[in-house]
Amino acid sequence: MAKLWVVIKREYTEKVRSKWFIISTIFGPVFFAAITILPGYMSMRGMKNAQIADIRILDATGAGMGQRVADRLKAQHENMQRLPVGRGTVPSVSTASTVLTVEPEKLAAAESLSTKLVMSKESQGYLVLDSATINSKKARYAGRNASSIQEMELIQNAVSSAFLASRLESAGIPAARIDSLTRSRVDVSAERIDEKGRGGSGLVSAIFGFVIAFLLYMMIILYGQNVLRGVLEEKTTRVAEVVMSSVKPDILLAGKVIGVGAVGLTQQLVWFASAATLMAYGAQMAKAMGMPNMSAIVFPSVSPLLGVSLVLFFLLGYTFYSALFAAVGAMVGSQEEAQQAAQPVMMLLVASIIMVQPIMFNPSGTLATTMSLLPFSAPIIMPLRMSATQVPTSEVVGSLVGLAIACWAAIWVSARIYRVGLLMTGKRPSLKELVKWVRYA
Amino acid sequence: MTELALDIRGISKSYGDYQAVKALSLAVPKGAVYGLLGPNGAGKTTTIRMILNIIAPDEGTISLLGRANTDVGMMDRVGYLPEERGLYKKMQVRRVLRFLAELKGMSAKDADRGIDSWMERLSLKTPEKDWGLAKVEELSRGMQQKVQFIGTLLHDPDLVILDEPFSGLDPINAQALKDTVVDLKKRGRTVIFSTHLMDNAERLCDSVCIIARGDKVLDGTVAGVKAEHGGNNVALSVAGGSETISRVLSDHQLVERVDDSNRFFEVALQKGADPQALLRRLVEAGAVVQRFELVQPSLHQIFLEKVGATGVEAGMSGHG
Repeated sequence: MAKLWVVIKREYTEKVRSKWFIISTIFGPVFFAAITILPGYMSMRGMKNAQIADIRILDATGAGMGQRVADRLKAQHENMQRLPVGRGTVPSVSTASTVLTVEPEKLAAAESLSTKLVMSKESQGYLVLDSATINSKKARYAGRNASSIQEMELIQNAVSSAFLASRLESAGIPAARIDSLTRSRVDVSAERIDEKGRGGSGLVSAIFGFVIAFLLYMMIILYGQNVLRGVLEEKTTRVAEVVMSSVKPDILLAGKVIGVGAVGLTQQLVWFASAATLMAYGAQMAKAMGMPNMSAIVFPSVSPLLGVSLVLFFLLGYTFYSALFAAVGAMVGSQEEAQQAAQPVMMLLVASIIMVQPIMFNPSGTLATTMSLLPFSAPIIMPLRMSATQVPTSEVVGSLVGLAIACWAAIWVSARIYRVGLLMTGKRPSLKELVKWVRYA
Repeated sequence: MTELALDIRGISKSYGDYQAVKALSLAVPKGAVYGLLGPNGAGKTTTIRMILNIIAPDEGTISLLGRANTDVGMMDRVGYLPEERGLYKKMQVRRVLRFLAELKGMSAKDADRGIDSWMERLSLKTPEKDWGLAKVEELSRGMQQKVQFIGTLLHDPDLVILDEPFSGLDPINAQALKDTVVDLKKRGRTVIFSTHLMDNAERLCDSVCIIARGDKVLDGTVAGVKAEHGGNNVALSVAGGSETISRVLSDHQLVERVDDSNRFFEVALQKGADPQALLRRLVEAGAVVQRFELVQPSLHQIFLEKVGATGVEAGMSGHG
């Protein structure tokens, strides 16, 4: 159909030329790069800046735990300094904590003195170790940096390790052994196993699944509403009538949906290409910024089945929702009305996205299975499940077929509403009138 | 009989209980300028949309240039200017026009050539400024009307349909439109336009059809319609003695209807009444008669007479 092509061409070229498209296409990857690299970078910087070595330790345990904690804090600090983070070196302040051994009955006085020191900025904070530390594994810390998660974790590690050491000592283990025992640190790496064997890290594929689900949701909403706006524009500017004297409304609708969908695919292509580049050169980039561990972010291998079904789910999901959005656009007469009338359609989408978290925790449960088969949530939930777990092929196919049928139904109904609505002005139709439109169109 | 550009046979269209068009038949010869006249809500736009195959009639057939209007490619030979006009606001003028032409099956290259000549002709493209490169929303209303107009005619259609083309036009654009209609006729194109402005119709149209409430009231050539309704109309212009004059004119023994335009009256006499009797009465009443002429009724008069009648009794068809 030559005319379908003309409509598609207009939709595509006008959208691709718009500032909105150019900005979002270029800044999308920048934004994604920022949210993947920056947190790692910031936390590295944060760790480096953590200055927890120069705190006051009020030791009322009478078992020398204060010194143990100080030693460990110092060791941690020195480890941290060796990390090649950032270009400039952070000036290291005093590296040794001040350990004050106090009598339990004088602890209150020591604490108030320390508080004053912290208030006058002479000290960063103080750690209280007393009988409760020994008996009920409780210690207290007060200081300016009490809200820093990383710094508190360092202190907690140091105290736990010191506590363990003193326990071991009371069990009769020689001091030399204790040191090596408590300093050892075990890294646990997670690996996912499915029917095909081991592959990828569990965490990474969960993040991947979430990103995919969210991306699909964003794209469907973004481009679905784009279709709505386009239809509404044609209706309110009355250009629809001129166009409909040349092409059938069904072709206009199809051209719009295909054209806008092609714009969406173009954008995704740019995004995926830049994501792939980021993955390929990400490690080098990270290293350049001083983060040797960034190579830990690896794209999980995407199987051909997952790849193909991702594209299919996007296309079908987009078609389903944009057909509904187009019907909404043809029904209403203004942007404000559109907001309201689009609510039910939006609810369907939102219902899918709020279920993402529970489904990620239990990707094979009843909720997950049901929602991945229902046409309105399938485009988001099924790709999520597929990246989180091994979904039986029959379910994937079933979900696709169901979605395709729903697509056909949505297009059929929408084309009818569109045909009548585009030339209608005035009041928004009631549900009863809508049914009439669909029946008589 | 010449070949027909448009042949409508017994079309009807209902929206629920409301019947917008009732068994309407029309025949428009090729090369004619045809007026579709009627008050607002008469069914003109519905009829035009059915001709353009935007909506389908419940009954009846429509042929354009000897073929069914639903045939593939038929709409490429028709140019349409809707009553409610609009263009893509954010689009460049040239791109909009090229899009509209391509929708009519024109190649982009041919469209570009046509756009240039039309833009120059309607002074949208001058050596100083080419409005074709601007966005539609940057143009004034008058200029947008011109662009829309170009969009209707760019593909050189055989049949041009204009729905209320004069509404909202400034005098300059209205004149340009009239000139163009005359030019189209000279080149053998058929023009159909709907209007409720009888003056324009009377001056431009070869033939007219008056419809009211979805029904055809009358149709025929302008000359023919006037002749059938003529003979007993007086164009009158008087000075002085307004009170007594209006008493004479309201005598229903003599006068059927008066269209009072303040200084000018169009008087329809009762059947069989003698115009000389009216003249005598006026002079006796002290009127200084400046003009007294037996004329054919204007379309306006005929329209009022006919549509007024169907207004009272819906469904009453035209004369004869």
